[in-house]
Amino acid sequence: MNKTRLADQPYLIRPCTIVYILLITLTILSWLIGKSGISGLHVAMLVLLFALLKGLLIGDYFMGLRSVRGLWRWPIIVWLFVPGSLITWAFFITA
Amino acid sequence: MNASKEYPPGDLAMWIFILAELLVFALFFAAYAFSRANNVELFNTFQQTLDTDSALINTLALITSSYFVMRAVADIRQNRQVECIRWLLAALSMGAVFLIVKSGEYVHHYSAGINLRTNTFYMFYLSLTFFHFMHVLLGMVILSAITVKTWLGDYSATEHTGVETGASYWHMVDIVWLILFPLVYIMK
Repeated sequence: MNKTRLADQPYLIRPCTIVYILLITLTILSWLIGKSGISGLHVAMLVLLFALLKGLLIGDYFMGLRSVRGLWRWPIIVWLFVPGSLITWAFFITA
Repeated sequence: MNASKEYPPGDLAMWIFILAELLVFALFFAAYAFSRANNVELFNTFQQTLDTDSALINTLALITSSYFVMRAVADIRQNRQVECIRWLLAALSMGAVFLIVKSGEYVHHYSAGINLRTNTFYMFYLSLTFFHFMHVLLGMVILSAITVKTWLGDYSATEHTGVETGASYWHMVDIVWLILFPLVYIMK
């Protein structure tokens, strides 16, 4: 199976469409959390986790990095880890 | 069939550019987060003045545009130029939604007398989002150029590096916003 051509696979709902629905769902969940007014370290980390997961999905499925081997498999994953860690650190020291 | 490849889709030079851009945004995000750590009350107070509904619309618009661009790439790989152009035009329309909504936010802030000197929070908010805004604008120029070249028949199933290159840049713009949205609008 060619992983880079998800949009071409003959499914009732294409895997790429399922990824898209997941991205939309996580976005609306984050927005609802923001709207509810609840705050705190755990809530902030949950919202950040949603964002990092969405970035991972875009990199893997939309950019097609899921099917790349070696060094070029990692740039987006590493990039998400760097600001993700720094933001986490900055929020932890104020908690 | 093993579909593993050694290089990502598109031109490698664009990927070097993408990594440089991502590094700049990572520094911006870290600067925002650590500045917030020194002014938590100020950041939390002024974060509440932002329009999260507009931010939601913009996030949905960018995710949807990324999906459309991915479908455009899939179609050109199958030599379906007309479908590819349709997806690219749909992606461009989502990009336009983003620019219009974001411009509306800027007009609202400007009419309220808010600018870069208002306070540290607004300095970060305005500079970060405007820097990203300019990337969306550049991404739309790239997507427009790809659309025209596809219409002229320059891309096919055998030669579509340009489409993949532009798509990679657009996805990068989307990923950056996916971190910016919760960091600036929601996390407190």
